[in-house]
Formats: sequence, structure tokens, C-alpha cells
Amino acid sequence: MTPRPWLHGFLDLCLLAMLRERADYGYGLSQRLAAAGVAEVPGGTLYPALLRLEEQGLATPSWGPSESGPRRKYYAITGAGLDVLEQQAGDWRRFRDGVDSLLSAVPHE
Amino acid sequence: MSDWPSAFEAELLRLGVQPGRARRLADETSQQAAESAATPGDVFGPAHLYARHLMAELNAPAAATTRTRFEAGPVLLSLTGVGKKYRRQTVFQDVNLTVRGGEVAAIVGANGCGKSTLLRICAGLTRPTSGEVRRVRRVGLVPQDGGTAGWLTAEEHFTLFGAAAGMVPGRARSTGVHLATRLAWRPGRKQRAQQMSGGTRQKLNLVLGELHAPDLLLLDEPYQGFDQGAYLDFWQQVFAWRDAGRAIVVVTHLLHDLQNVDHVLDLGER
Repeated sequence: MTPRPWLHGFLDLCLLAMLRERADYGYGLSQRLAAAGVAEVPGGTLYPALLRLEEQGLATPSWGPSESGPRRKYYAITGAGLDVLEQQAGDWRRFRDGVDSLLSAVPHE
Repeated sequence: MSDWPSAFEAELLRLGVQPGRARRLADETSQQAAESAATPGDVFGPAHLYARHLMAELNAPAAATTRTRFEAGPVLLSLTGVGKKYRRQTVFQDVNLTVRGGEVAAIVGANGCGKSTLLRICAGLTRPTSGEVRRVRRVGLVPQDGGTAGWLTAEEHFTLFGAAAGMVPGRARSTGVHLATRLAWRPGRKQRAQQMSGGTRQKLNLVLGELHAPDLLLLDEPYQGFDQGAYLDFWQQVFAWRDAGRAIVVVTHLLHDLQNVDHVLDLGER
């Protein structure tokens, strides 16, 4: 899985992208991240990031019931969140292309 | 296990979080742990450490602005060819330093190389033997020790120092208390400075140094006696000042402080 320091810069981006697809709650998001092969994100990393998105107005929470156990806090992406997602997605693609170009460079004979 | 949320909430309060918000965060944290059918301790680790981690995360700059640091502003302090002699003994000579708004400079070097003297020259309290010093008018100085009056309480200090800067007492007090909260300190109403621990007295010094919202802050090893948590709070505060466009000069002997500063002036290797 992804080394922790890598994920740190792109966790917000991944969370916003998943929330654009559909609103979700913390544990659901961590399972989607794992299923996508991105990372097993510990709760101590995931929940502060979600709370930060909420406080910055990038995601908005609502409470929903669960079949078992306590109610869940679902997050939906906001207009400001979509703007940040678009900007960060651009940053990510530039970064990815840059690293790819370094990795695919052929040694001089 | 039921004391995890209360330990968590207590640490948030100690860090200066408003009571209502601390309660809400404690409740939410318990529910988050329940989502994966685990105890808070299993998911988040020790309560007091997670409280600090969470506050540090929430105080981090916005996702959109992570990479856009405050752009360096106008020059707020400049030293050109500054030297100091006592009798015929040269302490240092030909020191050059320019600090702009939004920048942090560190003065490092062994004991006795003149770090504190140079800081006093920056503040205009000591006259250099040679060279030129230019600075903005509003300067805050936090000395290494002293600077507080043992028989006065924290609020009396706020009133006194505020009055010197032309602030009315009520505003000086509320500003002082607010600034103290950001260093995870709640001043006791009756406690005199001489009854405070060394670390708390240094926090008082820090608050007094920025009470009048100076443009240039000069700090002389201001974290003596701080525990690890307070030390981290201190650096967060330095970077908050920086991001608000102020210029900061810190005298320090701790090398690991230097990775995030903009200028390092080493007096020892000259």
C-alpha cells in the first residue's frame, strides 16, 4: 500500500473525489479508499481530515441512521469543495506526469 | 474505557478549545469509533495525544492554500554592516540581515557570541558600534528572562503593558487573555507572576510582547521551561504570526527549529 507521507498530500483530494461521486460517512470512505487500493487510512488520519473539510466549508455534514449502532455523519461535497477538487486534481496530474516522466527516462549509453 | 471521551475533552479544554466545541468533538469522536465497532482508544490511541493531533490538523492551512505561502512583504528590519565592541573586545562585526513581513529569521551560535546583544540592537535598546539598523516603528521584544513584575497578576500585566501602548484596560485584558488561550494557557485571576512556573512566566512574556500587535517580533529563546506540548504551540504561534504578514526574529540554540525558518544568521561561525 501507499507509504503514509505520500498519502498525506493527497488525502483531501481523494476524499473530495469520493464525495463528488456520492455522500458518505467516515467508515464507508475508509473502505472505499482501501478497495481502490489507495491506502488503509487509520481513523486518526481520516476523521481529522473530514472535520477539516467540514470547517473549511468544502463538505457539509448531515446525520443519517444506520441499520445497527449509532447514527452516522454523512458528508456531501459543496460548491467550494468542487472548486478545490478541480484545482487539486490539476495539481495531482502535473505531479503525476512529472514523476512519470522521470521514471520513464532511459539512461544514456 | 468510558473515561477516554472525558480525558479527550479535558485535553481539548486545556488546549483552549471552547467548552461547547470540546463536548461536541468528544461526542463525535466516540461515534466515529463506533462506526468501526471499536473503542476510541483502539482507533485513535491515547486521548491526550489525539486531542493535540486533532487540533494541529484543524489549525493546518486550508487545503486550497497549502502551497501558497504568504508572499514576503516589505522589509521590516535591516541590519547593514552591524558590529559591536565592548572596550577593545569585538563581540561581532559586519552582520547583515534583512527580514521582510511574512518571514522568520533565526539567530544561532554558541553561548557568549552575542546573540542577545544583537537582538537588543535590533530592538533599539543597545547602540551598535558600527553599521546601520533600520526597523519599523511597532516592535515587540520578548526577553529571555525578566520583564515581568513578581507581585502583579497576569491581567494586571496586560493592563499595564497595554496602557504603555495606548490601549484601554478592558481591551488590553481581553486581548491578553485571548492571546494566552492560543498558547494553551488560562491565566488565573489571583495568581501573581512570582507564583507561576518558569514556563508559564515565559508565556506571559510572549503575550506581553505581542499585546500591541507589533509588526516586528523579537524573541530571545522564549520557550525556556516549556514542556513539549507548549513548545509545539509556540512554533505554531510563530508561523501564525508569519502568515499574518509579520516579521519574526528568534534567538535559538535548538538546531531542529531551523528547518522552517527563512533566514539563519550564525554568529558563532564568523
